[in-house]
Amino acid sequence: MSEQGTLFDDDFLKKLEYLNLVANHMMPGHLHGEHRAKRTTSSGIEFADYQQYVSGEDTKNVDWRTYLRTDKLIVRLFEEEADLPIYIFFDASASMAHGASTKFDYARKIAAALCYVGLLNQDRVNLIGFADGISQELSARRGKHQVWHAFRFLESVESAGITAMEKAFKGFFSARRRRGLVVVVSDFMDEAGFTKGFDMLRYFRQDLFAVHIHSPEEVRPELPDEVLLEDAELGTSRRVRVTPALLDAYAEQFEEHCEEVEGYCRKNGWGYVRTTTDVPFEDLILQVFRQGRFLR
Amino acid sequence: MIFLGVSAGMVGLLLGGTVATVVFLYWLKPPPQRVVVPSTMLWNRLLKEKKRNTLLDRLRWLISLMIALTIGLSVAAGIGRPELSAFGRDVRDITVVIDNSATMATRTADGFTRWEHAVARAGEILRQGSASGHFLILDTSGQAPPTEPGDRRSALEVLAGLTVSLGGESTFPDLLEGESEIFFVSDGVMVDEAPPEATLISVFEPAHNVGITAFNVEALPSDPARYYAFVQMKNASLVAKQITLRLSGSNEGGLRDTLTLPAGETRARAIDLSGFERGPVRAVVTTDSDAFVADDYAYDFLPIRRQTRVALVTRGNVYLENVLAQEPRVFLDVMSPADYSAQVSADVFVFDRFAPPEAPRGPALLFLPSDVEWLTRTLAVVEAPEVPGWNSDHPVLRFVALEDLRIDRAARVAMPTAGESSPQSSAGEARREPVAEVVVGDRSLPLVLVSEEPERMVRVSFALEDSNFPLHPGFPIFLSNTLGWLMDEQGALARSPGRIEVPLPMAAVTDLEGSHIVTWPLSDRTVFQAEQPGLYTVVAEDGRRLRVAVNLASTERTSVNDSGLASDEIGAASTVSARAEPGPSEELWVFLLVLALLLLVAEWVTYHRRLTV
Repeated sequence: MSEQGTLFDDDFLKKLEYLNLVANHMMPGHLHGEHRAKRTTSSGIEFADYQQYVSGEDTKNVDWRTYLRTDKLIVRLFEEEADLPIYIFFDASASMAHGASTKFDYARKIAAALCYVGLLNQDRVNLIGFADGISQELSARRGKHQVWHAFRFLESVESAGITAMEKAFKGFFSARRRRGLVVVVSDFMDEAGFTKGFDMLRYFRQDLFAVHIHSPEEVRPELPDEVLLEDAELGTSRRVRVTPALLDAYAEQFEEHCEEVEGYCRKNGWGYVRTTTDVPFEDLILQVFRQGRFLR
Repeated sequence: MIFLGVSAGMVGLLLGGTVATVVFLYWLKPPPQRVVVPSTMLWNRLLKEKKRNTLLDRLRWLISLMIALTIGLSVAAGIGRPELSAFGRDVRDITVVIDNSATMATRTADGFTRWEHAVARAGEILRQGSASGHFLILDTSGQAPPTEPGDRRSALEVLAGLTVSLGGESTFPDLLEGESEIFFVSDGVMVDEAPPEATLISVFEPAHNVGITAFNVEALPSDPARYYAFVQMKNASLVAKQITLRLSGSNEGGLRDTLTLPAGETRARAIDLSGFERGPVRAVVTTDSDAFVADDYAYDFLPIRRQTRVALVTRGNVYLENVLAQEPRVFLDVMSPADYSAQVSADVFVFDRFAPPEAPRGPALLFLPSDVEWLTRTLAVVEAPEVPGWNSDHPVLRFVALEDLRIDRAARVAMPTAGESSPQSSAGEARREPVAEVVVGDRSLPLVLVSEEPERMVRVSFALEDSNFPLHPGFPIFLSNTLGWLMDEQGALARSPGRIEVPLPMAAVTDLEGSHIVTWPLSDRTVFQAEQPGLYTVVAEDGRRLRVAVNLASTERTSVNDSGLASDEIGAASTVSARAEPGPSEELWVFLLVLALLLLVAEWVTYHRRLTV
């Protein structure tokens, strides 16, 4: 493992190995999640149902005993498990690159970790960077050997633009994507409203796992009395007289925003994890695992 | 509104400049710090709600500017010393003359004194004028400093420092010509010469008073060993009064006399003090409802004479021998100059045309002494000198008239002066020439000199045979006075309350209770202030002692109802309670400064709590 860049260093990779062990421990044997759909086919082991024989079908599945009793050609159907893809969306807008320890790096590490675990489990993993559209995409990959492709891809992505989840999801899923698990790692600071993006996922009947990231200074910013606030995405500015009361109101507003995102996810039965950038990312991944939506 | 500090134009400029400066500084705020945040989405939402909801937020900047303007304008206006009380008042210059003569201490029916009413009225008059006017407070006893008219506060301070003066002369003060309104607050008893332009304000109210108008302890010339207390009392009330007179001395007991005096009548008593011992004598008159207390007491001193051993050294003098032999308290020892030696012991020495070579060990009376070292020299002999005058106040000359004194010849002796060295005494001690006082004659021809250092001495510069003095009826009195003075048997000096000078340098003064009185040295005298009647003892550094009987003892002061003024409506206690002490300033600058300070504190507190920014 010497091909990693500065983002995914040896320390990071060690943590991934640790996460892998933990994942195996939590779910020994074959790791298939709830998201895996069952497809009814003529081959398989587990009986599912009967069906009227149609001309041209393979006769090996005809239930001859039933034919002798009823004089009807009935075909036995079996269920076959089909793996569903994992779509890992990470926010690559300009707001994610703000601060000393950027949310963008943190999001990429989370994406890398989830991707690593998914690839180890032979899942089809898609990595998508988004802002006001799809910035960059690494199409579906499977197998451990794809890990380095994924890491290089994540390192190559740069943050820019505004957040527009609705546009990004619509653009991505309009191209006949299979249903799967959608992991969105973002700060959800979408001027158009995060609900529009989430509604779009609901429309495409995708299962969502939201990872909400924000930096500590976003929760309790330290600002001078008189300040000109500049929006990192829009470039607009606003003059603000900062008072303790205003800071309290802002913290309250921020908390409301987070609770709105979480509430929306809970309402739709989706997974939701909230974290700040000062939390070790492996702890966050374990938290994701414990929620049971990613590993089953 | 009137500004006391600067002109109205300057105040306008100051206020305008302050407003311009404050507003300019508000616009001149430094640019805000630029901070990049991930998103202003939440900020926009929050500020939109706050702006919509809070009126205070919308007015915050304006309120802050108003507060800053108020602070600045308060300070700027305070520099101009604005005065609110000037509203609706004309600028007036007021001079108030307040009568603080003795009778102003008379109590009125409401329990206050005429003086307290007068001070209250004077304060009211001062407050009627505009603060920008000029005010002057004067009094009839000269207590108020003779200054130019000043501001009201200074006048009120002067007024607060004035007191009733029981003694001294009370006259209407001289006023500078000007357009000042003059008010005279008085009871009209002791001062009635106010100028016609003065507005008279009466604090007179009839009062009951009985007082001692004269008190003296004296020995009769015909019987020098017996002392009498001469007491004169007056009923100054408008009704007859029963008076109780009590005399008390240093021994227990005393005398008591009761008499009834019709209104306005005066009566005298001569009371034999044979039963009294040497010491202070106090006379007290009491009656019901006495409104003026200061004249109810009087003091004097009773000097009891003892037997005196007198050594007369003469070659023969029938006048002296006979008169001294007649003195009932004198043990006389007559000797010739040849028999005299320094070892002769006596209480008083009388040298007739002789002087011993050394000063005697005691007080001495000398008639034309010969030239010796311890006396000043004889400069010349003057034939038939005139007697230019004498000091009848000196104890030696009390009741002695010298109009008909004829002298054939007298010695012109040198006047001893302070600091002049005298010849050496036999003991070889360096002694200072005594400072003498001329009691008969003048400094060019001192006929009788008295001195007190080192021993009391009376030096007569003519011989009795060379004058008709021995034939005078006052001669025995002179000898008796002289013996009494030489033995320090003098009574007390009679003085009125107030500033008192005593002829002793650097002396200490105590009252009857032994409390020390503050004194001031004045050349060869000592000055002290005696506000109340009493007997004061003055002791010089060299041990000389003097007593001063301070008594009101004045018919004029006791007559508290002899006023030419009508009785005004004086009197609510509430009026008097408005004392003349300078109260809180009526100028606004203090309040403006306090307002600015309060606003600054409020601004500071709210700023640190982030309430106003």
